[in-house]
Amino acid sequence: MGYYLSQLINGVCQGSIYALMAIGFSVVMGVVGLVTFCHGEIIMLGAFASYYAFAWAGNNLLVGILASFGASALVSVVVYKVCYERFFDAPHHISLLCTIGMSMLLKNLAQIIFGPNFKPMLDVLPNRFYGFGQVGISLVQLTVIATVIALSLLLFLFFNKTRWGVQLRAVSQDRKAATMMGINVKLTSLLGNAIGCGLGGVAGMLLAIYYQTLIATMGGAAGMKAFSASVLGGMTDVPSAAAGGLVLGVIENLGITFTSASFRDIFAFIFLLGVLMFRPEGFARKQGSRP
Amino acid sequence: MTFTAPGRAPWFQGRNRAIGLSLLLLLLLCFPQIYPKSYVMGVMCRIFMYAILTGSLNIINGYSGQFNIGHAGFFCVGAYAEALFAMKIGLSFWLALPLAGVLAALIGLVVSLPTLRLRGIYLAIVTLGASEIIRLLALNWEGLTGGPMGIKGIPSPMFFGLKISRSPQYYYIFLFLAVLFYLVTDRVVNSRVGRAWVSIREDEAAAQSLGVETARYKAMNFMYGAFWAGVAGAAFAPYFKFISPDMFSLDEGFNILSMVIIGGQGTLVGPVVGAVIVNFLTEVLRPVSQYRMVIYALLIIGMMWVRPQGLVGASNSILAEKKAGFWRRKPRRPAAKGA
Repeated sequence: MGYYLSQLINGVCQGSIYALMAIGFSVVMGVVGLVTFCHGEIIMLGAFASYYAFAWAGNNLLVGILASFGASALVSVVVYKVCYERFFDAPHHISLLCTIGMSMLLKNLAQIIFGPNFKPMLDVLPNRFYGFGQVGISLVQLTVIATVIALSLLLFLFFNKTRWGVQLRAVSQDRKAATMMGINVKLTSLLGNAIGCGLGGVAGMLLAIYYQTLIATMGGAAGMKAFSASVLGGMTDVPSAAAGGLVLGVIENLGITFTSASFRDIFAFIFLLGVLMFRPEGFARKQGSRP
Repeated sequence: MTFTAPGRAPWFQGRNRAIGLSLLLLLLLCFPQIYPKSYVMGVMCRIFMYAILTGSLNIINGYSGQFNIGHAGFFCVGAYAEALFAMKIGLSFWLALPLAGVLAALIGLVVSLPTLRLRGIYLAIVTLGASEIIRLLALNWEGLTGGPMGIKGIPSPMFFGLKISRSPQYYYIFLFLAVLFYLVTDRVVNSRVGRAWVSIREDEAAAQSLGVETARYKAMNFMYGAFWAGVAGAAFAPYFKFISPDMFSLDEGFNILSMVIIGGQGTLVGPVVGAVIVNFLTEVLRPVSQYRMVIYALLIIGMMWVRPQGLVGASNSILAEKKAGFWRRKPRRPAAKGA
């Protein structure tokens, strides 16, 4: 019993990382309105940015968060300029293929710059462990969950209490109407894209701390999980994307207790197929957002 | 008014086309006798194999407008199926070839079923996932697939008692398969079914309202593409004699995709051009091979900016539509003549 409970805790912890990735993905999807296939690579870049930040500035979690957020947001501006800006009115497959090209580019550049092998992550947090009876939770897990909750709250406040946030939500709801209300849609899309990708970058840092390794090809699986989780919320709804991430993490960890750890990514895929089979429009139905 | 097949030059029709293609085929048939160098034969074999792979991907991406970005998965299924049929059951290559294709097509059906009624991006992510899952299964199901060590010593095919083991002999197998693929596909895309696929690509809602059962035709299309990818994989396994999961990574799928995009989508000749160009580039870039995928990525992005249908893609289709691009051109589609 204790074993399953601790797997559940692992699942919640991992799920909160997936939730952060999915939140980023949903923000990008909602605000830009085009599909991105390079979210995984953005996540990977965030992880590497935090690695070098930790190596340079010592084990300060805040520095890592800022570095990964900043690096991913900067790269997202490039992605926006290359893949989205010219293609808002063109058929969607053009920008989709552009993001695929971008993901190839980022992944292979990362392989050249950072090396193709696994890198051990620096020991950012002390390896402490708190036990409660049969179950225990490590400091790393607590930090991950706390970071995700804090960032989600910040995002919530940003979306609901600031002028920029309201503009972002307006653009996400209806681009044309937002233009008519005098919102600078292009600039807002750029900002939303940067925020979504920045959150993805922080998720990459948490992933690296949690697994203690880094590799340039980690983006593929991560991107797929972000996508799978946000499908649950119909791709654009942020809270249900977060819920999807949590569910995905728990399913994965319960799944590997019954099989083996090498089948981890298969559960995300089965989850995705299941959601697409039974509720492809997601649980947060928005008028006019049929998949 | 004569019927002009979409994306085909007017001077390359009817008798001209038949003569031209026959001459090309004759040249290709004689090529190993004229220039029997093992290195060149190897490159030619790869070009033919990729011509089948890209052609089958083009059927999915270019003709019906669906998105398959994990074509390497079906390639992997075909290769492993042939290797296992040959090693475990001792099935002949010529029987294992279609069986591997059928298996890949069935897996294609399973993959495409949940997304048939959804937008294209869902299929894209599902194929990406499926490709990775197939590779993971090959990597971890050690009892069947040998795990990370792969399968070694796949037996060579026999042709009426002649053992086919060298590149110049394989050249003919790959040539035969490529010619077969393009003959069959030419018939298919110019049939009722092929026109249904093109109509789905151009406007799915309009196609549906005109009585095209889009879900059924999309599934058929996906299975057809996956079938040929499986056949290509089945021909690849005994040629290389050794297969391992890391030959079928996502990068391999992107490699095939970049050939299709660079060469051109929605025409039969496009993927062949792409396969030739990209394989040529692969050979030229051998000294700087780690930059290979970077260059392909830049080519894909550049192609999307400048000419989204690819070098010789279907110019009078939605694939070429580009309202705001690097170079603005006049509006597309002067109403495809006669089509």
